[in-house]
Order: sequence, then structure tokens, then C-alpha cells
Amino acid sequence: MVNLRPRRSCRTLPVRLVVDQGGDEEDSERESSEEERQDVEFPDGDPVAEPMADENEDEVEDDEAPEEVTFASAQAEAKEDERRLRDALRRDKELLKEKRKRREELFTEQKKRKLLPATILEELTTAPQTKVNESSSELKKGNVENENKEKKEEKMFPKRVKKRYMACRLKDQDLIDLRQQAAKGFLQKYLYGRGSNRTTVNKFLSLNNKRLLVKKPAVQFVNNSWGMERKQNAKKFKKQWMHKKKLASRRPNII
Amino acid sequence: MLSVGNTRKGMGEFKVHRVRFFNYVPVGIRCVAYNHQSNRLAVSRVDGTVEIYNLAANSFQEKFFPGHEGRATEALCWAKGQRLFSAGLNGDIIEYDLEKMSVKYSVDGFGGPIWSMAADPSGSYLAIGCEDGSVKLFQVSPDKIQLERTLERQKGRILSLSWHPSGTHIAVGSIDYIAVLDAKSGSTTQKMLMDKRHPGSQRRRCVVWGVAFLSDGTVVSTDSAGMVQFWDSETGTLVQTHPLTSSDVLSIAVAEKEDSLVVGTAEGTIFHFQLIPSRSDGKQSQWVRTKPFQHHTHDVRSVAHSPTALISGGVDAHLVIRPLMEKVEVKNYDAALRKITFPHRRLISCAKKMQLLLFQFPQRLELWRLGATDAAGKNEDILPLSRNAEHLLQLKKKGPENICCSCISPCGSWIAYSTASRFYLYRMNYENNSVSIKRVSKLPKFLSSAFQILFSGDSAMLYVASNQGSLHVIQLLEGSLKHLHTFQPQSGTSEAISLLAVSPDGNWLAAAGMSSGVSIYNLKHLKPHCMVPAYNFPVTALAIAPNTNNLVIAHSDQQVFEFSIPQKQYTDWSRKVQKHGLHYLWLERDTPITHITFHPKRPTHILLHDTYMFCIIDKSMPLPDDKTPLFNQLSLREASENVRRRHAHAFKISKKFQPLLFMDLLDEGTLVAVERPLEDIIAQLPPPIKRKKFGT
Repeated sequence: MVNLRPRRSCRTLPVRLVVDQGGDEEDSERESSEEERQDVEFPDGDPVAEPMADENEDEVEDDEAPEEVTFASAQAEAKEDERRLRDALRRDKELLKEKRKRREELFTEQKKRKLLPATILEELTTAPQTKVNESSSELKKGNVENENKEKKEEKMFPKRVKKRYMACRLKDQDLIDLRQQAAKGFLQKYLYGRGSNRTTVNKFLSLNNKRLLVKKPAVQFVNNSWGMERKQNAKKFKKQWMHKKKLASRRPNII
Repeated sequence: MLSVGNTRKGMGEFKVHRVRFFNYVPVGIRCVAYNHQSNRLAVSRVDGTVEIYNLAANSFQEKFFPGHEGRATEALCWAKGQRLFSAGLNGDIIEYDLEKMSVKYSVDGFGGPIWSMAADPSGSYLAIGCEDGSVKLFQVSPDKIQLERTLERQKGRILSLSWHPSGTHIAVGSIDYIAVLDAKSGSTTQKMLMDKRHPGSQRRRCVVWGVAFLSDGTVVSTDSAGMVQFWDSETGTLVQTHPLTSSDVLSIAVAEKEDSLVVGTAEGTIFHFQLIPSRSDGKQSQWVRTKPFQHHTHDVRSVAHSPTALISGGVDAHLVIRPLMEKVEVKNYDAALRKITFPHRRLISCAKKMQLLLFQFPQRLELWRLGATDAAGKNEDILPLSRNAEHLLQLKKKGPENICCSCISPCGSWIAYSTASRFYLYRMNYENNSVSIKRVSKLPKFLSSAFQILFSGDSAMLYVASNQGSLHVIQLLEGSLKHLHTFQPQSGTSEAISLLAVSPDGNWLAAAGMSSGVSIYNLKHLKPHCMVPAYNFPVTALAIAPNTNNLVIAHSDQQVFEFSIPQKQYTDWSRKVQKHGLHYLWLERDTPITHITFHPKRPTHILLHDTYMFCIIDKSMPLPDDKTPLFNQLSLREASENVRRRHAHAFKISKKFQPLLFMDLLDEGTLVAVERPLEDIIAQLPPPIKRKKFGT
């Protein structure tokens, strides 16, 4: 047996209602006795304030309607939340901005240190223009000799240098060459690649020879590149042997 | 390989050095473009060289732009006003200046490597197809081209391009599809997908190598499956398909009248398609494959269609001009097949006293010394060599540009060569058995590039023809140069000089321009002397005889003139030849005369050669007329004295040494003949398509 606490809220409501309406006599008698009892039991607080307090106390049962919150207060609360959020975001952004600024400054400083002094830069911009394009491609090809020669010539004849210069980035040059190589690779693959039905020139020309009455040998009958390494080694050995023999014959033979 | 043979040449016995160690391999042809207005053909090769052939002047190569290592030309086209443009895998569009013989400018296409280019029918727009799938339109303005707009970008690389004859639409061929774009708005109006179930390997995609747009809206495509397909661009459907081969069909060209087209395959065959009316009233017509032609051994990368002929060029470096019988008016020798393999310019110079030969390759020069023999022999003997021919020097070019022209002085101590932008001069020293070379670095500023270089007979003077038309005379001193004079072009136009000749005594210099006449300059007084009357065919060879100072000129229509320089008029012999007319077999030769030389002891002899014959003209003998056989040397040798006296004529021709690249007289009894057999060239070409022959 559970000892349930009496539900005061239930009792108070119907009493008020009946009193307002002016209901039956039976109810009124009972109600009056209940009222008295109630007064004794609950000396303090009016019935109006009681429901809120009661709700807070028993959270198990909530048949009541949710608490009444005015629109103004709710709006104010929501605005408050938004403002707090915005402030937080702004603070974060500013922190990031600061970080970035500091990094940029660091980079520009480093760059300044890397660049040539301002005087030389001025000289370059005022000097005549030349075509650096050619020299860059030559550099890439590894034709250092030619570049040195050009430089030498330019040093010896400064009067001659009135050409126009066009600077270009070596990185861009790499990109252009890569694309060109890719294009050439495509052409090679589709014309001479795996699926193409190609044969050697030797075999192609020997088709004619096969149908002749008197069969002739192939056009490139001798493969000159056969045994290349061995032949080269033999040549080297022969040179060394002859040299040794020469030295031996020069030395006086002491018998 | 070299052998010395004894041959009897009309009146004279010569020892002949037969030289076969010139390893000349012509570069494969990549693009061919025909210009209807001027009847000229522009041919571009794999190394970037561009040549212009004048088809009206016996298909002579009259202009030549040396190649460049960075240029990988993939497309060539003519635009309005005789302007020539080329585009390649380096992404640039290059315009060529045909007057000054140089590259005018190059413009970046901004689309990566350019695969195809076509000019619109009015000639004022250029469309290029790029690697990234975009088609860009350039407007051709009088001095430059400018990017106007980019049409809608396609998915794959644009390998072929064709304008509709009205200039409103462009058909592009890419990998596995063909698209039709609207030129004004740039949007794709039609996209035709290629059939994936084509014969051949399933794994490889179908590459559309060529497209052509006809005026009735038909798009003709040639692809790597070996098929020629006709599509309707309105509905985007396939109308007709012709499976030709199992290998690729690489190129297509349509005639101006749109009643015939020609396609080239990778097997070396070209097929001719014609629009044949299928009903008797001629209302309906159909494209029918009519004739195959097999003139190439390797891939035919490019074809062109002139009003009367089919032109094809490919990897085997033959330029084949096949006239169509039904289009030719008069059935004479002009209707014969023309196959141009060997160069129309001289690539070899000879230092006679030192017996040296300088070979000009596009990327290097080679210096060889001829062998020697002590034996003597009778006619037609092969004499053994006592000393072999020696390869003395190999001079590689500097920089990316190819070598344009070169020359060695008669004493062998100076070598000069030029690229399109620089001039190089070297001093040679021969002591004991070694060769030393030293470059002359202090060159004057105006010596930037030359179109022709020539040394005087005593090796003391250098004559340089620059491509602005001016002629520089420079004196060669021991360690330096001295600029004596510059002749400006006489005719007033700045036209490039194609040939130079100097008299052996050093007093006269003759210069032939590309379309103007031959100008003669007096070197003793450093003044222009006179001009030979203009002739409407270009000059192919030029030489001045010793003592008499007669200028002998050979033209591309095989006419030979002799002009007396001191008297400023044609010689009597020349007038006699013109009145009599040359033998018809002489006029029907199809290779030009590239070198003329003279015998020091016999003033009546003129020695000249072309690719397939070598001739000694004896001015004192009677001229042959059309009824006598021209090539009668072999028969006359066996004949009796009387017969010989009656039948001998002035033109003594020998066809023993073929194909000849160079022939010269070293001294009174020795000739040098540089031959280049065709088999040796073919042996060094890239691999061809496998062909199946019945019975092998």
C-alpha cells in the first residue's frame, strides 16, 4: 500500500469552479467542510501561486500545461544566445586573422632577405630587354658550352647588346614540355603502339624478294650491331697488347 | 662506300669517284596544303621545315624555311591573301613571311598542343583544335592574328577540324566521336558517336584522324579503324560507311567542286572517292570508291586535292602528285606521275684542290676527304683504293634551329654555315694528318643570317646573300674579316636571293632572286652591272665560265641559257639553241638541274647534272632534233667512226650514276659523283604496316 500524498491541486480546482458557478447544495456543503480543512492544512500561500510551486516539487506527474512564458522574455533569451554565439565566432575569426597577418609579415621579411639588394633590381629594370627564353631552354638541354660561349660574347661586346629580353618561368616551360611530350606519346601509342600492325623495314622489303624466281637475300642481311660489346672489348685489348709489345721491344734486351 | 671507276664520256676519259657515304635521309612529310589562287603547294616536314613548291613551274621547290627543334608541326593552312600559317605540338601558331623568307611571328594558342588548324572559306578566320578539347577562333588581321573566341569545350583532344563551306559550322573529330559546332554561338549542335563494335582490337579507341564538311551537310570522317564514314549533320546519323583497310585512314581532302575526295591510309595507299550520279537523270548521286593508288611504302600522313591532281605525302618522304586522267585537258607528259624524293637544292660543296666534300645535314655538317688510287685501268674498270675515304670532321649545329645553307672554300680552309638567325664561320687547318678547326667569333653585326653563301675561287672573298635581298662582300684576311661592300637589291623589292655564282677570276658575281631575274654585279668596281632579261620560270642552277665569263642559267622548265656578261647579251650559241629548240626528251625530265660546272681546258664543254642523269654539252657540235635519239652515247661507242661522226650531237648524256645528288669535276681527268640509292634511304625509315602478300 502506497501512501500517496493527497493531490491538493485537484481538490482546489473543482472547489473554485463550483463556487463560481453556484452549483448544487450538496456540493457546497461538502466544499465548505473541505475548504476549512484546506485552510487548516495550508495556512500560507494563495491557491494561485500554489500550482507553480507544486509543479516544481513533483516532477513525476506533469498533467499540467507547460509553463507560460511570455513572447518578450523568450525573444530576449534567444537574442542573448545569438549574441553570445556571434561574439564567440568574431573572437575566433580575429584570432585567425592575427595569426595570418603575422605569418605574412614573416614571409615578406624572408623574401626581402632572399631578393637581391634594391640597387641591382633597379639596374635590371632599366637595362634593355633580351630573349631569355632561348637560354632557358638551352640550359635545360644541358648545352652549357653554348651558354658559356654566349655569355663570353656578351661580355666582350657590350655595345652589341641591344636585343629585346623576354623572361619566362622555368616552371611554366616544364609544363609546356610535359604537355608536348604527352601529345607526342599519344601519337606514338596510336600509330606505333601495341595494337598497330607494324613490321620492320627489312621484313617489309624482303616480301618482294620472296616472290622472285631467283631468291635474293634480305636487304639488311648482316646485323652490324651483333656482338657490339665483344668487338669493342677485342679492339681495346688489341690496342693494349700492341702498346705492351712496343714498350717491350724498346727496352734493351739484356741477355 | 667509294669506288673509283673509269668511264668514257664522249670526248674524254675520266676517273670517277663514286661516293656513297653521304648518309642523306629525307625527313618525312607531315602536312600538305594546296593554294588554289597561286597553284602552289606548301609542304611541312616532321622536323619543322616548310617548303613551297610551284606546281605550275614543273613542281619546282622554290622556297624553303629551315626547321626548328621546338616546332613539331601538325597543321598547315593558307589564309586570305597568300598567307601561310602553321601550328604544332608546341602550342604556337606561326606565320611565315613568303617575301622575306623568315618567320613573321608566333602566337600562343593558349590551349596546349595544337593538333589541327583550318582557315574558313573566306580566309579571314583560323580555327584551331587543341589538346584540351577547345576550339579557338582567331581573326586574321593584316599584320597579326588575334584570338576572337573559344567555342564550347569538348571532352577529348581535337584531332581534326573542318569548316562548312558557308563558314557557319565547324566539324571536329576527336576520340570516339565527331561534333558539329556553331561558329557564331560556339555551342555544339550535333554529336555523332563512333560505333564501338568496329573491327580490330576492342581495347583501342576509335581515333578520328580526319574530317571534311561538305556543303550539303554531310560530314566525312576517317578513323583509326580503317573506315571512311559519311554522316548527316542534321540528324546526326550514319549514312554510308566504307571499310577500306584494317589499319588507320590518316588523312582526307576534298576537291573544291566537292565531286571527288581523296583519303590516305597508313599502308601507303590513297583512295579516290567520286560523287557518281546513281540515276540517269542525275538527280541523285552517291559517293563511290573508284581508284586506289599505291605509290608510298609508309603511312600517308597528309593528302591534298588540286583541280587536276591528287597530292600525297607521308613518312617515306616522297611527295607524289598524281594527275587525274579525266581532269587533264591534254594527254601529254604533264599527265604523268610526279614523285619528288630528292632535294631540289645543292646540299654538298666541294673543295677541289684538297679533294674534300662538305655534306650538309639539317642538324650537322660532315667533312670527308676522298680516297685515292694509284692504279690505272681501261673503260668500265673498278680501280682498287690505295687510301680510303676519311671522315675528317663532324660539326654539330648550335641552338635549336636547323642549318639553312653551308659552303666550303675551294682551298678547304674556311667553312661557313648559317641558320635562320645566326651565321657561323670557321677556319680550318690541315697539318700532317690531323684537322684543327677554330671558330671566327668576331663577326660583323649585319651577318645575322644568310640564304646563300659562296666563296671566291681564290678563297679570299666571301659573298653572303642575306634574306633581305642584300648581298654582302667580305674580304677574308688571316685572322679577321673586312666588310668591303653591300649590294642592295636592284629591282627595288626586298626579295631573297636563292642562288649565287662567282666567276673564277673574281670579277663578276651573279645572284638569282626567287621570282625576279638574275642580277650581275661588277666586283672590281663594286657596282651593279646588268640584269638578265626576266623569265617566267625560276632558276635552278647558275654558273660562270672561266675566261669567257659566260653565265649559264638552268631554269625549272629545263631550258638552258648562256648569257655573255661582258657583252650584256645572250651568246650566239644560246640564240641558236632557242631557235632550234631543245629535244623533247630533255624537256620531259622531271628533276631540275642543280649544278653546272666547266672543264678548265675545254671551253666548249658545259657539265651539268640532275638527279637521274649527267650531261656534257659540247657547244661545237650540232644540236639534236626531235627525231634523233637523245641518249645515244652507249650505241655510238660501239659504232664505227663514220656513224659516230654523222650521229654525234652536242648533248652527251650518261645515266650510269643514279640517283645523283652531286657531280663535279675535280681536275682534268677526275669526276666525283655522290649517289644515294633509294634502298639505303628506305632502310632507315620508321616501321611500316605489315602487308600480307599471297605466296609469302
